[in-house]
Amino acid sequence: MGAISLQTIGLLIDIFAAAILVTAFLIVSSRSLVFYIRLFALQSFLLGVVAFLVVLGYGETHILIAAFLTIALKAIAIPMVLTRVIERIQVRKEIDFSVNIAASLLLCGGMVVLSESVAQSILSGQQTDSSAVSRVLSVSIAMMLIGLFIMMTRKKALTQIVGLLTMENGVFLSGLSITYGMPLIVEVGIFFDILIAVLILGVFVFRINKTFETISIDSLRSLRH
Amino acid sequence: MSTVLFSLLLGSPFAGSLLCALFHKRRALEIITAASSGLTFLSAFWLVSVVMAASPLITPNGWWYADGLSAYIIIIVSGSAFVVALYSIGYLRRQIGSGKVDDRHLWLYYLLLNIFIFTMMLVLLSNNLGFLWIGSEASTLATAFLVAFYERESSIEAAWKYVIICSVGIALALFGIILTYFSALHVVPATDNALNWSSLMQVAKNLDPAVLKLAFIFVLVGFGTKAGLAPMHTWKPDAYGEAPAPISALMAAGLVNVALYSLMRFYILVNTAVGGAFVSTLFIIFGLVSMAVAVPFILLQRDFKRLLAYSSVEHVGIIVFALGIGTPLAYFGALLHLLNNAIAKMLLFLTAGNIRMAYGSKFMRKATGAIKVIPVSATFLIVGVFAITGWPPFGVFVSEFTIISAGFASGNSIPAILCISIITTIFVGFIYYTSRMVLGVPNRPVTGGEANTASLLLLGVLLAALLLLGVFIPSPLQKCIDNAVIVLKG
Repeated sequence: MGAISLQTIGLLIDIFAAAILVTAFLIVSSRSLVFYIRLFALQSFLLGVVAFLVVLGYGETHILIAAFLTIALKAIAIPMVLTRVIERIQVRKEIDFSVNIAASLLLCGGMVVLSESVAQSILSGQQTDSSAVSRVLSVSIAMMLIGLFIMMTRKKALTQIVGLLTMENGVFLSGLSITYGMPLIVEVGIFFDILIAVLILGVFVFRINKTFETISIDSLRSLRH
Repeated sequence: MSTVLFSLLLGSPFAGSLLCALFHKRRALEIITAASSGLTFLSAFWLVSVVMAASPLITPNGWWYADGLSAYIIIIVSGSAFVVALYSIGYLRRQIGSGKVDDRHLWLYYLLLNIFIFTMMLVLLSNNLGFLWIGSEASTLATAFLVAFYERESSIEAAWKYVIICSVGIALALFGIILTYFSALHVVPATDNALNWSSLMQVAKNLDPAVLKLAFIFVLVGFGTKAGLAPMHTWKPDAYGEAPAPISALMAAGLVNVALYSLMRFYILVNTAVGGAFVSTLFIIFGLVSMAVAVPFILLQRDFKRLLAYSSVEHVGIIVFALGIGTPLAYFGALLHLLNNAIAKMLLFLTAGNIRMAYGSKFMRKATGAIKVIPVSATFLIVGVFAITGWPPFGVFVSEFTIISAGFASGNSIPAILCISIITTIFVGFIYYTSRMVLGVPNRPVTGGEANTASLLLLGVLLAALLLLGVFIPSPLQKCIDNAVIVLKG
């Protein structure tokens, strides 16, 4: 692999990482649950592509399986499960906000700036080359923060799941960017856990819907003190 | 030999899970669960004796690891699991009798209990910090349906919060683990080992302190959520309050200690790498905050199991506080408190189960006059409450006394005084509520009776252990804790 192609791959990683960040912003500004899930699927697909680029550019073949799993599970299987959940419970599909879209986008923009400075401080002490992959660290931290923000401000049970998964995508991207991914067996175990978590949360969404006639977490207020 | 030992410890609960998946008869499920958890507990004793002779123990492939610290905590966790497995038999039989539980739920209960025990062993025996993470998240998932077991509105709500909050926490911990891996990649020769505890400790002094500090904050928030440290404790009263009593007992006596174990591993690593007061200060602050947060909720409580959950927040705070003090005496106190708290919490949660079965309610104002209705359980309740609030002659008093004197001896007088005043206030709240429950007049006809003799005998054993630990510490236990203290010192 020549120097130019490595540069090209670096450029591609930058572009795709930017696109991932855009999907996170689109999720924040979205009003429809179906759209939420499609955007998440797109985001996971782009994440899988970044993983493939890391395999191509840096020869870390052990990520290949993680890249396949990202696309198979997070871009296809999990969105399918979540879409089925929405269809089955026939819920009102708009999302309630506790922070409006304009303010949300502004706050998330602030988080990106914050993430950039955190990423710089993590990378500054290291003697690593400032490869394209490590530049992606700030994007990954921003995604964790945005995921957390979605969970705190969007009040449907399903949006909480998407927020959690966005956080997980951010964590995966951070691993990709600074360590070229965790050891394979660890990565596989993490995917397994995430899949089970989504299935369990999906079951709970059904049950919440059955007992509360709505899937807004606002109705989850009986336990206090 | 190490391979056999690790296979036993991991294999018994794993085989128990598989067998439970296959069999559906009540009798079979009871025998499988009791046998697998009993075998795990026995193997834990073997592990302790092996580790005392030669520590640490690592399998040839480098995946599994045990030293004095993990052996000690494995004894506590597997012992709690065994007690809970035995108690579950009588408890669930009564619930089936009263029609609260059907056959499908019974099967699910035993299956998930075995998986739950397996995931805890996975965390405690992993050499690889990635496996440790996988086990932690799996333990949340294994207990999710157990928390939602009764399928009431409130229990589904509790389970939802539990899974969401703990998963967010643990996702942050994963970022902390990735940062640790990042700092290790440059100094550990073989990258496949860079997440292994045994390799990390060898190079701890060469790891980048700035990155490790940041990693530690994420890990502290993450595993602190699982342990129920304030302010990440909000899932705890809901989950403990809604889960069946034996499951609450195993969460408070087992899962909490597993989470604290994960925290201790990072505590040791970061302390060795960074040194100074960074880790200690964080632990002292989080410990005190957790203790203080519990106070108002204990003073204004209606539900006995939620009261116990806040007591769990308090005691996790005490243990983390003791680790923050960081002297060998404080370590000894923290580890002893781990054991005392586990026994006392089991005694109280299981007694809460008896009370609930008798009164059909966990609300304290409905369950009054217990001494007339269920005299044996009522006695366990009042004695257990004196034990958990730190009265002599019970074990909790000894460990709390050790921790507080370690606090004074190390010059942390103000935190130590705060600690004493919080413990005293909590005592008052506890005694107020339990005296009403135990003494009072039964205010309505009570339908259920006392638990069966075997269950009561089990509670008697727990009480005897607490009393014994209050009077003296047997020398094998002393040696076991001393070995764990050596590991904590790094």
